[in-house]
Amino acid sequence: MAAFTQTVRSAFTKVPRWVYLTAAWVLAALFPVLNALDLVQTAWIRVGVLSLLFALLALGLNIIMGETGLLNLGYIAFFAFGAYTTALLSSPKFDLHWPFAALIVVSALVAMLGGFLIGLPTLRLRGDYLAIVTLAFGEIVRLTIVNVPTLTNGPNGITGIDFLKPLGPGVTARLQSAGLPQAVSNLLTIDKPTEYYYLVLVCVALGALLLSNLKNSRVGRAWNALREDELAAVSSGITASRMKLLSVLLSSAIAGFAGSLYAYYSNVISPESFIFMQSVIVVCMVVLGGMGSIPGVILGAIVLQALPQVIRESAGAARSEFEVYRMLVFGVIIVAMVVLRPEGLLPDKLWRGQAHEADPRELERTRQTLFDLEEGEQDLEA
Amino acid sequence: MRHGWARKSLVLALAVVLCFGATGLAGCSGQKESTEETSGQGPVETIKVGVQTALTGPLPDYGDAAKKGCELAAKDFGTFEMNGKTYKVELVVLDDKAEPAEAAVVAQTMVDDGVVGVIGSLTTGATLSAIPIYAQNRIPLISGSVTGPKANESGVDTFYRTCWSDAIQGEALAAWAQELGAKKVVLMDDNGAYAVGLADVAEKALKSAGVQTLRQNCQSGDKDLSAQVANIKEFGPDAVIFTGYHPEAGLLRKQMIESGLGDVIFMGGDGIKSTEFIAEAGGTKNAEGCYATFGGFPEAQQPGYEEFAAKYEKAYGAKVGPYAQNNYDAFGALIAAIKAAGSTNTEDIIAALQNLTYEGVTGTFSFASKAEGSVARGDIVVEGLTPANVPRYVVKNGEWVGVE
Amino acid sequence: MIYALIALGYTMVYGVLKFINFAHGEIFTIGGYVSAFTLLALGVSDSMSFATLAGCLLLALLGAVAAPVIVGLVVERVAYRPLRGRSRIMPLLSAIGVSIVLQQLIILIFGPTPITMPTLKIASAAVSLFGVRVRVLALAIIVISALLMVALSYLVRSTRIGKAMRATSQDMEAAEMMGIETDKTIVFTFIVGSALAGIGGLLVLMYYGSLKFDAGFLYGLKAFTAAVLGGIGNIPGAVLGALVLGMTETYGVSMDLGLIAWLVVAGLVAGLYVQMVRVPRHRLLHIANDRRTPDYERRIMNVYRLAPYHAVKTLLGERTDALLSVSASHAVRLTVGNIFLAATAAIFFINGSARIDTRWQPVIAFVVLMVILMFRPSGILGEHITEKV
Repeated sequence: MAAFTQTVRSAFTKVPRWVYLTAAWVLAALFPVLNALDLVQTAWIRVGVLSLLFALLALGLNIIMGETGLLNLGYIAFFAFGAYTTALLSSPKFDLHWPFAALIVVSALVAMLGGFLIGLPTLRLRGDYLAIVTLAFGEIVRLTIVNVPTLTNGPNGITGIDFLKPLGPGVTARLQSAGLPQAVSNLLTIDKPTEYYYLVLVCVALGALLLSNLKNSRVGRAWNALREDELAAVSSGITASRMKLLSVLLSSAIAGFAGSLYAYYSNVISPESFIFMQSVIVVCMVVLGGMGSIPGVILGAIVLQALPQVIRESAGAARSEFEVYRMLVFGVIIVAMVVLRPEGLLPDKLWRGQAHEADPRELERTRQTLFDLEEGEQDLEA
Repeated sequence: MRHGWARKSLVLALAVVLCFGATGLAGCSGQKESTEETSGQGPVETIKVGVQTALTGPLPDYGDAAKKGCELAAKDFGTFEMNGKTYKVELVVLDDKAEPAEAAVVAQTMVDDGVVGVIGSLTTGATLSAIPIYAQNRIPLISGSVTGPKANESGVDTFYRTCWSDAIQGEALAAWAQELGAKKVVLMDDNGAYAVGLADVAEKALKSAGVQTLRQNCQSGDKDLSAQVANIKEFGPDAVIFTGYHPEAGLLRKQMIESGLGDVIFMGGDGIKSTEFIAEAGGTKNAEGCYATFGGFPEAQQPGYEEFAAKYEKAYGAKVGPYAQNNYDAFGALIAAIKAAGSTNTEDIIAALQNLTYEGVTGTFSFASKAEGSVARGDIVVEGLTPANVPRYVVKNGEWVGVE
Repeated sequence: MIYALIALGYTMVYGVLKFINFAHGEIFTIGGYVSAFTLLALGVSDSMSFATLAGCLLLALLGAVAAPVIVGLVVERVAYRPLRGRSRIMPLLSAIGVSIVLQQLIILIFGPTPITMPTLKIASAAVSLFGVRVRVLALAIIVISALLMVALSYLVRSTRIGKAMRATSQDMEAAEMMGIETDKTIVFTFIVGSALAGIGGLLVLMYYGSLKFDAGFLYGLKAFTAAVLGGIGNIPGAVLGALVLGMTETYGVSMDLGLIAWLVVAGLVAGLYVQMVRVPRHRLLHIANDRRTPDYERRIMNVYRLAPYHAVKTLLGERTDALLSVSASHAVRLTVGNIFLAATAAIFFINGSARIDTRWQPVIAFVVLMVILMFRPSGILGEHITEKV
């Protein structure tokens, strides 16, 4: 058995990485075609949109968590910043209807500002204390949204967010009145799940490209150095505070960007979408996929976001009766995945050697790593 | 292999889940075929009606009651004759966790499943995010429990409800507090959409009548309300209106009595009108004399309630859950609309719903065809209802009894 | 105050295993549910004789301890032990999974409606203490928490198993080499932690009369906050943290925002910004001694004129001068901070005696947490069971 798995494993590792990646992107791009052919229900496209949105979010969190090694339990707050910025500036609430291009940027900037304000004083904290401060920050943001109804409509949320018009409402309206054919002008408004799917897919692809380049750059290596051993990194000339702040800014900008897309997609946003549990779920996505591994993180997001629907649909005819047990199964699967694959689904190779390490500064580091390598072998057999 | 057995048991659990899933899939495909067969020329045709509710998440007790109400209705009205054919309703019950993002996915799943109508959703947030999807796909959505006045702000013609909007109850609470001679009133909500909406309407009505008000809040799930009680004590009101649900309401009442505010009139919306409130307030003595309005006629006044309650208790061996009869009526109204339309085309059903007058368990009602004042499109219009005769309840000898 | 019992459990587990047991809140809920179930099943009522009543309560207590302990053990075995020795984040994730599972199990077993305890006289009995009516149960909670805290401190400091716990916490491998059975020690920690949570569940149930299936989440979060506040892993710290949290939550909102609050807020804001510009002491002294050029002196004097220098000096003492002389950009930042401070103070001053709306209650608790952590990054009393030998 062990020999067999070994053979299969080596066969899989012989295939170059780019083959897998291309296959994954092609599959992702072809997914809506299945829907068009009536092989897959539209609900799956919506699950796909959400999965990809969360993949974007997880990519953002991966910068700060996976690359720089800072645990953030209030990440959804930056998502909320983006979503509410977009919602306020393109809804009947204040009767503002800003164009998409401007809003995407403004949303990211607002989220960045939030990241700057929270990052500046807290980044010196380490480990669990940083986690708890970010948790507090996330809750403060959510409660503020709930408590300032004049701005955010409080718990009722903001309804009637504009449809996404890539060219902006003004230009689109002018083009339409200029006698543009209906079919073309329909394309100028993104309002169908499939259209959103492609939009978000492109964003995720761009994000992944940006991040994988960043990862191999000077900045990325500086982040990794900080994650592995802050003291050593600082002594070799890395400005810890600046680098950490940079990673916070970048990750919050991505969250704001994703938030903006989410507001457009869902048409309605309310504080229920930005609860602490959502932050935790995003953290789970990063950890489950494999911290620091870009394909892993995307996979983690897709798995976690699609899992409830997979469980639902796999109950088949008993679906209606099975709904009560759905979350139970969800929880069991999370525990099972963590226990069976503690390195994550697609762990980053660089990261793998150190994945077992609790605190890099702990003294028994080398010994621990050696010990874990032995355990790792056992994992493969099991 | 230190952790061998734990690992193995987890693998086993996973395998069981997967097997379950596989059989489920097989069942699903098999069942699909059978619907296609019967939908041909056979005398029996199966139509699907969705029930979108929250069976997990923060309010599973309400979701459970809604599901049971619909199941009961499906038993009663689920099979009917129309145009010489027998129609059989198949319920599709899906759980949206009362979460907006999940609600959109559930709505799409319903649309994909080809339902002719949907009963739901349970909460305002989830319903808000589901409305655009149903509207786009022209499927009627009838909620038996969403009472938020802003639920149908966009005014689509696919959303209806068989429960009263909070606007009715808010005005009724304000009117009642004034009748009881209150000059200073504390309004308190639990920061949830429902409670805030209700308190907003009541506060507005009270303020315009020149009553002094103070607004307080708690979080749903709070156990310690001493800060709020201290504030209430300082304000010295004649009445306290708590618009949230019974767990916090009971605690508030209890803690108010403990700090010597037992004489202040305690009122609430239908969130507190449950037997749990009495227990949570610390027993019969504490809850005695608390008032509540209700978003529906008192059970004795509901023409079909007795029969419904008997059926419900017989089927589930439990007391009627919150909004169960409204959901029952929602289902009934949908079937009535299908019959009136004489077709299972959703466009026809929507048209029929707008002109429907339905005699349900909760009374005879129709749906508002346009927004007017505090009434939104698709709101329930109950025959013979004015803000002044909204049902009122008081706790007497440990039971909620109607006030004439 | 009730947070203390749950926070103690958190701290125990964290102190030994260095990970946040998110499922702790659910274990607490199970304790409450099981005890309520026992009481309901026994048909407890006031008409019972005192002895039977006490017996029933004892039985409920037994249930409230036994069930969480069993659940805690199973959870430890299945979800945490296989992850021992790996990164700290993985158990956190599996704890979240466990907490979802437990919550759903509670719904499935006990039904979705909140469970209510039969009303008992002793639960609502109250005595007059210094002119304030206090519930006997509230006093009992305080006494029990204090007793348990003392007992736990004794357990950790002066018993064999306590020594084993400390050793395991410090270095698991070394402890194992010394012949300590770390697995058993950890199991024991979980037993104690879960039992504490169970007792907490019973007391909350008795005090408030009802419990909802998801109550554990909020309690868990707040207890965790309390534990961190007091310095996680530190037993008296957990109780102190719970006390501080409970106090701020209750009095933070009923406080009259007069001059005192004004000063507190101003001080906090100033401190926050000073914290931002804090530089290592040796560097400060170095700069202060060597780099004081006339140019610097002039710039610093400008800052002095802008900022309420004496106020800052009172807050910071000797370091002020050194701090101000670090660099011009730091000085500018400090000035900005002072302007911000003045603006905040002005807002509060204009609002005068405005009360904080009760809806900001949780926000206050979280803000206090953030501020305390910024000043004392390892909690009020510092962390680690181990260091308190």
